[in-house]
Amino acid sequence: MADIKNMADINNMNVAAAPTLKSRRRGSKSKMKEVTAKIIFIVCALFSIVAVLGITGYILYGSVPALREVGVFNFLFGTLWSPEYGKYGILPMIVNSVIVTFGAAVIGGTVGVFTAVFLSYWCPEKFHLEYKGKNKAAARVAALINKINLRAVFDQVIKLLAGIPSIIYGLFGLEVLVPFLANMNSAGIGQGILACSILLSVMIIPTVASLSKNAIEAVPQSYYEGALALGNTKAQAVFRAVVPAARSGIVSSLILGIGRAMGEAMAVIWISGNRTLFPTGLFSYIRTLTTNIVMEMGYATDIHRSALIATGLVLLIFILIITLSLNLVPKDFKGKRGVKKLTSSCNSDVKYLRKGKVSEGLKIFAAICAALVAICLAAVVIYIVINGIANFSFDFFFSKQQIDTPTFAPAFFATLELIAISLVIALPIGIGAAIYLHEYAKPDSRPVKIIRTFIDTLSGIPSIVFGLFGNIVFARLLGGSSVLAGALTMTLVVLPTVIRSTEESLHAVPMTLREASYGLGANKVRTIFKVVLPSAFPGIATASILSIGRILGESAALVFTMGTTLTFTGNPAERGSSFTVLLYYCANEGLYMGQAYMLALILLIFSLLLNLAVYAIQKRVKKSH
Amino acid sequence: MKDKKQTVKDNLDIFDFTSDIAVNIKSLNLYYGNFQALKEVSMELKKNEITAMIGPSGCGKSTLLKTLNRMNDLVDGCRIEGSITIGEKDIYAKDIDLSALRKNVGMVFQKPNPFPMSVYDNVAFAPRTFGIRKKAELDEIVETSLKRASIWDELKDRLNKSALGLSGGQQQRLCIARSLAAQPKILLMDEPTSALDPISTGKIEELMSELVKDLTIVIVTHNMQQATRIADRTAFFYLGELVEFADTQTLFTCPADKRTENYITGRFG
Ligand SMILES: Nc1ncnc2c1ncn2[C@@H]1O[C@H](COP(=O)(O)OP(=O)(O)O)[C@@H](O)[C@H]1O
Ligand SMILES: [Mg+2]
Repeated sequence: MADIKNMADINNMNVAAAPTLKSRRRGSKSKMKEVTAKIIFIVCALFSIVAVLGITGYILYGSVPALREVGVFNFLFGTLWSPEYGKYGILPMIVNSVIVTFGAAVIGGTVGVFTAVFLSYWCPEKFHLEYKGKNKAAARVAALINKINLRAVFDQVIKLLAGIPSIIYGLFGLEVLVPFLANMNSAGIGQGILACSILLSVMIIPTVASLSKNAIEAVPQSYYEGALALGNTKAQAVFRAVVPAARSGIVSSLILGIGRAMGEAMAVIWISGNRTLFPTGLFSYIRTLTTNIVMEMGYATDIHRSALIATGLVLLIFILIITLSLNLVPKDFKGKRGVKKLTSSCNSDVKYLRKGKVSEGLKIFAAICAALVAICLAAVVIYIVINGIANFSFDFFFSKQQIDTPTFAPAFFATLELIAISLVIALPIGIGAAIYLHEYAKPDSRPVKIIRTFIDTLSGIPSIVFGLFGNIVFARLLGGSSVLAGALTMTLVVLPTVIRSTEESLHAVPMTLREASYGLGANKVRTIFKVVLPSAFPGIATASILSIGRILGESAALVFTMGTTLTFTGNPAERGSSFTVLLYYCANEGLYMGQAYMLALILLIFSLLLNLAVYAIQKRVKKSH
Repeated sequence: MKDKKQTVKDNLDIFDFTSDIAVNIKSLNLYYGNFQALKEVSMELKKNEITAMIGPSGCGKSTLLKTLNRMNDLVDGCRIEGSITIGEKDIYAKDIDLSALRKNVGMVFQKPNPFPMSVYDNVAFAPRTFGIRKKAELDEIVETSLKRASIWDELKDRLNKSALGLSGGQQQRLCIARSLAAQPKILLMDEPTSALDPISTGKIEELMSELVKDLTIVIVTHNMQQATRIADRTAFFYLGELVEFADTQTLFTCPADKRTENYITGRFG
């Protein structure tokens, strides 16, 4: 390489001579690298589109035989589902799914929104207990309580509630909720509409509460202050000015919650009652679209199998409509309505009465809702912890794997491999996509909007549909269920999470660092890899942890892609059960409830640890800023 | 260029700084969308001189500075008319190698912006960009650059510590060292001391007087005393126009234009 820099000037200085800066960089080569990198990032970004179209296409394709045999009309509006007799009508299941989702939206939506209001405006950050007695222990307890930041605690409560795997909710529903409800009605039936609605409510509360909270906190402080200045009480200001102004965000959170409820399979599989009939009341056995698939996919063949895939298609269409309707929520009525309502309500109060009882009532209701959320989490956690410990068995953890008894080791290794393979594939693609969206594409340009819509759509697709897709594509391609097929499926499931949190962290990298790097002559690729990505590392770590959590807790997408088996050779090309799938297996027939509880406890501990890890990372990031 | 085997494309020294004029700006107009931020600016910057740019906020100083290493390319909707030649080369020509340009025209920003890595890695960033991998070579460049930025003594024992732990003044000198490690011929400095305490400011001014012996410095400053202390020549900008460009002494003692006089006597506020 040639010496291209004359440093005579520097030699005159009183410091040591700098070695010469040789260029080992060829212009054309580095240009090529730039272009290649850009193409790779674009391909990563397009991956989500391919995934959504691929899933939709294959589900559609798999549905054709059944739809052709039965007829679309008879399939959708037929009231009898009886595969033995070749009858495939899914209307009862559509109706059941819609009712249950509606119930969840009403209960969970209300509790979620009011919890968000409470957390944003009334939840105290600090307690101010004063203990005047002499008891030292009590004084210490009081001091300790005063240290608690209740708002931060609630944030974690909501995150934990969101992190609990569906299958654990299912177990809780089966063992606690159903017996409880059965005691409440004369027929002694616990399963059905009410049980499903309640359980799904709990599951959508985190989605609704956290997104509503974001929306409420995004309302300009001036609305709140403006209302107070007009003589509103705090409660009035919140409910008459702030909440209406956050309306579009709240509506969006409800829509996402509805999508989540409709697509949930494993949580309701044991509490729906599993009868393919129309409901006759709150307590009557039902079957939903999702549970229809899970119940029969394991043994269905030919037309029957195709009819189940078609059930998935109907579910997917519902979900697509729900997800796309998000785009219809007007973004701009955010502010205006709130203000209008505020001023008009003030002008119309001609009599100037001291009002506000309603708002005060709502405030109390909001506090109750928040308490309810905390109680739900506590109930689930305490129940699983107690039963997990009570059922502890040395054999489960340490005995060799057997074909007829569930043990820890095979599930552990299958889960480990599942996570590793999924991440190895999903992280590069997701990070690449995020880089394209954030570093290359023009924000809000058409291609970006389209890609984002597809990413949102991908993230809205229910697990069970991913499972169907994985089953008819990956499992078939790889010659049957395997850990690898499960991992490929999970790659699609976690991709949106990876893209989103990576993008957020890219956004947090100051522009000045990029400028500094360009200013030093670094090209775009070098800037991205040496400066931007290392600075975005906490976000990427968070993305990985969130993905691990999602993979660890996933069950519906895995039951028909990994296979339910009690042994595992360690070879990812063979069948193996993750923790969740094994839990499903253990509790499904009620044969291994002890093991089911231990598995539930293990999953709970892991999701707690992952939450802690995210918390620690975010705390560190905050500190360093 | 002494080596014939070197192809033109490999060469980072695409600029020829033998003549007296380092930078030549001719009839430069710059638009951000519809807004014209620079109007018919023409000026010649001499080699081995410090040129200061002064003027009220928003008059286009930073904008002009950024045209010199084409950082404006990063701004959407930014459009340029006129020409800028650096070292005899039109830097807005189609075939210009941006990396080579920015290697030769270094930039120090208003707020110190060290990368979140070690002191050493910060300084080694540009050499590594340009293919230097050998530890010994890198060590030498890092040491020389830190010495040139007069911060070697303070940092030699903490080269492997994070650069974010340094004080503001140290960070800024580190950023200067980081630029120097690319061995630039021109150094652009956009209000490099405005975020620093007086002592750090003094150190950086001293440093500039030392550095200008072997490179050309363009500095934007709000501080007129600073311009009088360090600049050989000073340019006064107003509303995107170059109002006056002269010897620093002349400009501050007998300005030719009324607007300059108003500004330096403080009437613009
Ligand atoms: N990226 C940009 N987009 C649009 N306008 C800009 C941008 N950067 C600067 N401007 C405008 O150009 C003018 C000159 O800005 P600048 O060069 O930063 O001024 P100075 O550094 O002299 O304070 C200002 O009116 C500013 O608002
Ligand atoms: Mg400026």
